Amino acid sequence: MNMTLKNGLKVAGLTFGLAMASAVTPAVAADDVLVIGAPLALTGGLADEGKKQQDVWKLWLDKINAAGGIDVDGKKMQVKFVEYDYQTDGKRAGQLAEKLITDDNVDVLMAPFGSGHTKIIAAVAERYQVPMLACVASSTSVYDQGFKYLFGTLAPNTGMTESMVEFFKAQKPDLKTVAIYGRDDVFPKSMASALAASAESGGLDVVYNELYAVGTMDHSAAVSAIKSANPDWVYMTGYTQDLILGRKQLSDMGVTSPIITMVTGPAYREFTEGLGELADGVTSSTWWHHSTAYTDAVGPWSTTASFYADFTAAYKSDPDYVHASCAAAADVLVSAVQAAGSKDKQAVRDALAATDILTFYGPIDFGDNGMNQGREMPIIQVQGDAIKVLYPESIKNADLKMID
Amino acid sequence: MDILQILLNGIVLGSLYACIAIGFSLVWGVLNIINMLHGSFIILGGYLTFFAWQYSGMNPVVILPIIAIILFGLGYGLQYFFINKVVMAPVLTTLTLTFGLDMILYNLMTVLFTATPRRVTLDLGTLSVGDLYLPIDRLLGMGLALLLTAILFLVMRASKIGRAIVAVRMDRQAATLMGIRVNHVYAITFGIGALMAGAAGAIFSMVFPITTNLTGTFLGKAFVICVIGGLGSVPGALIGGIALGMIESIAGYTIGPQNATTVGFVLMLILLVVRPTGIAGVKGYE
Amino acid sequence: MKQLLCFGAFALWVAMIAATPLLADNYTIRIAISVSMFSVMAVSWNFIGGFTGYPSFSTAAFFGIGCYAGAIAQRNGVPLVLAWMFATILVAVFAALLGAIILRLKGHYFAIGSIAIVELTRLITSSWGSLTGGGDGLNVPLLQGNPQEVAGLVLYVMLGILVLAFVTSVYVDRSRLGFGLKCISQNEDAANMVGVNTTAFKIVAYTLSAVFCGAVGAVYASWVGYIDPTDSFSILLTLKVPVMVLLGGAGTLLGPILGTGVFILLEEIFWANFLEWNRAILGGIIVFLIFFLPNGLLKIQYLQLYAAVSRKLSIGSSKSGAGS
Repeated sequence: MNMTLKNGLKVAGLTFGLAMASAVTPAVAADDVLVIGAPLALTGGLADEGKKQQDVWKLWLDKINAAGGIDVDGKKMQVKFVEYDYQTDGKRAGQLAEKLITDDNVDVLMAPFGSGHTKIIAAVAERYQVPMLACVASSTSVYDQGFKYLFGTLAPNTGMTESMVEFFKAQKPDLKTVAIYGRDDVFPKSMASALAASAESGGLDVVYNELYAVGTMDHSAAVSAIKSANPDWVYMTGYTQDLILGRKQLSDMGVTSPIITMVTGPAYREFTEGLGELADGVTSSTWWHHSTAYTDAVGPWSTTASFYADFTAAYKSDPDYVHASCAAAADVLVSAVQAAGSKDKQAVRDALAATDILTFYGPIDFGDNGMNQGREMPIIQVQGDAIKVLYPESIKNADLKMID
Repeated sequence: MDILQILLNGIVLGSLYACIAIGFSLVWGVLNIINMLHGSFIILGGYLTFFAWQYSGMNPVVILPIIAIILFGLGYGLQYFFINKVVMAPVLTTLTLTFGLDMILYNLMTVLFTATPRRVTLDLGTLSVGDLYLPIDRLLGMGLALLLTAILFLVMRASKIGRAIVAVRMDRQAATLMGIRVNHVYAITFGIGALMAGAAGAIFSMVFPITTNLTGTFLGKAFVICVIGGLGSVPGALIGGIALGMIESIAGYTIGPQNATTVGFVLMLILLVVRPTGIAGVKGYE
Repeated sequence: MKQLLCFGAFALWVAMIAATPLLADNYTIRIAISVSMFSVMAVSWNFIGGFTGYPSFSTAAFFGIGCYAGAIAQRNGVPLVLAWMFATILVAVFAALLGAIILRLKGHYFAIGSIAIVELTRLITSSWGSLTGGGDGLNVPLLQGNPQEVAGLVLYVMLGILVLAFVTSVYVDRSRLGFGLKCISQNEDAANMVGVNTTAFKIVAYTLSAVFCGAVGAVYASWVGYIDPTDSFSILLTLKVPVMVLLGGAGTLLGPILGTGVFILLEEIFWANFLEWNRAILGGIIVFLIFFLPNGLLKIQYLQLYAAVSRKLSIGSSKSGAGS
């Protein structure tokens, strides 16, 4: 406890020092430092996701600093992150966004994890006309409000579900029925309803389609109902803890569907670690996987492989799409500042809107609503200890295995 | 056949639920404290079990008593040094105090353990009879939960400390006159509450993923179960737990999982107003 | 004299908050809005928790219903101010009906019941997707104008509600109603016997504790532009408001306002400086409050405290003097 107090005091002193420094020398800070504001959920329900953003930006920033900053208009510009913990509380998220804009004079905002909190912060950024990059918000409802300063690096959900239905139908011609079970929360719910629509238009029979409330502790009832519907394919969405429990209960209650998809389960390492052998065979779709291989990308990592190498060296674990998308958002920002030739907010906003680049995470080209244009997103499967990519053809490294 | 499976699910889940509520009910019944720390105690027990299992490879059933004793010590200390000072204050004060303590414990856990969901992956398989499925780890959890409940019941009935707890609960002043150290008895009671929570956490680590995000959910369940079963009695918590398990199981199947949790809370409110002694009809403390 | 001092302090405080748009940056205005909003909820809670002595934890339910009622009305084309009024009235009716049922409970049972209301309203909002958007939340039409104008507007509306709530609480404090509520707080059975209509009084107090929360909820929704069930019906909020009142002094007129101001100030300091430990520190403050300020900041006998501290200090120094 003593130790933490000391740390706390150090942090306090540091923050105070920084605040003083920026107060004394505002003119210097204004021109050659690009200040990125990031409200993060470091405590509360989304603490894990918030930590991921913090980690990957640290890695990214170290890389930028090692190069002495970024080149803008022939001069070096430094980059700085200002981060606060909003405690997974929407009210505080909005408040912090305003603090970052008005107190810390950030040039651009990075949205925290999740579509809901992204919406809250987007409303603040829009009011102040500060460009904002959303790296972990994929629900179209975030982007359909006509906001001009909001840009998202994830592609829309709908593209994922359609290609998945087509892919599974091609792999398993006798695929007829699907059971859908989703968490009643922004992203998981939108994935569940998108899949229901895609499945119906793809000619599948949706035999079970229910949502479960946030705070559901047990899935026995739903799993029993799914079992009696005996579907060929079970599609469940939710947070990692929901999916771990869901997968275990499907197995415990003797559900024998050959295809089980969990979104975004296997995209996270925590999912496979929490499940152990039971994870084997679970499929998912994701926005990015480290076995994709882009080369000649802009930003500090010119290939996907070099990002993967740096990340695993620093954190001893595989990066997931959250890491990649957030790092890529920072790359996009830098390239926009370089294109604009300054960090003027209006110019950066226009440069972002015109962005069409390739990062280690993939191509980024914002559509009219500010969302990254759809592209072929990977379908992955846990096979043994590894995560294999089944689709698209260009990066696939395994065939779909049925669960027996 | 479906209906049998649903009922079976309900009973198994219900015994696990009972395990959540027993410690909470005891503390409420005897100390007259709504213990907001209870959810975090369960998660703490779960995390400690997980890490002990991960490092030592011992079976969680073996680890359980150790975890339970650690939690007992923590509970005893918290009550003896903090909560005892305000134990006679109105509910607002005691509830707020335990809420403050909970914020500290919660924060400690997120920093030490992170919020990553953890699970003891024993995966003992499933018993199946015809169309009926019964996961063995849940069965084990249910057995342990019932065993702990029985032990607590016996302790309260037959042991010296159990009788002292009951005496203090009935009449604090008379108990003091009889030479019972009331502060000590209170601390022991709170310790037992924490012990039961820790044991529940150890059992849950085999069945549910453990994450700090679940503290509120557990606490909410404890509220509902206590009200349904009636306060302050061991059998009441057991009945309340099984009733809630059944209700959620049936509601989840018939009207959909989205509304299953809601039904529990609605029933709780109705019971609160109509029959505050709970369906078991055991007379509460107040 | 004491009354005058109290009004003077309140007027000064309101004037200070009202002056922020002229003097300070937008972030400070945002804090000022937060302070006003939470002050409204704290003053409201004081009706039931302070005067009447009922440990109510349903503040977040009223706030949340206010958010949703205002947002839904606005989305259906009801003009802004009418939508806010609609939300306020709806919450008042809801609280009156609910109060008639759950105010039969006392003590722990009432506390638990009132927390359950928050959870229940959240769950219902979440599953009633056709009306509320369910877990997706709702987008609320953004207030038009540049940030300064919007923040200024929201601030003055919140302050207006605060003044209304405060005036109501002064009126209640002096009226027969307030007297009756304090009797209930002391001894409900006795109050009943001397002819206080306890049921009606309690329902009025409970409704008063809700109505202004509904109003600020609706305004809040228009301000942030997006609401969802978990944030609108937050257990943390429902527990934080009573803590603010306790910090200032429950059952007093100024206590809730003082407590809110101090609490938010502390929060600002801590979360900005202790990135990972802010929750524990706030918990620590609550524990400290319960042990060392059980009656709140207003009821400290400051002169006695000063005497005690200086006595302690002089003993301490003489001891250390003897040791060296």
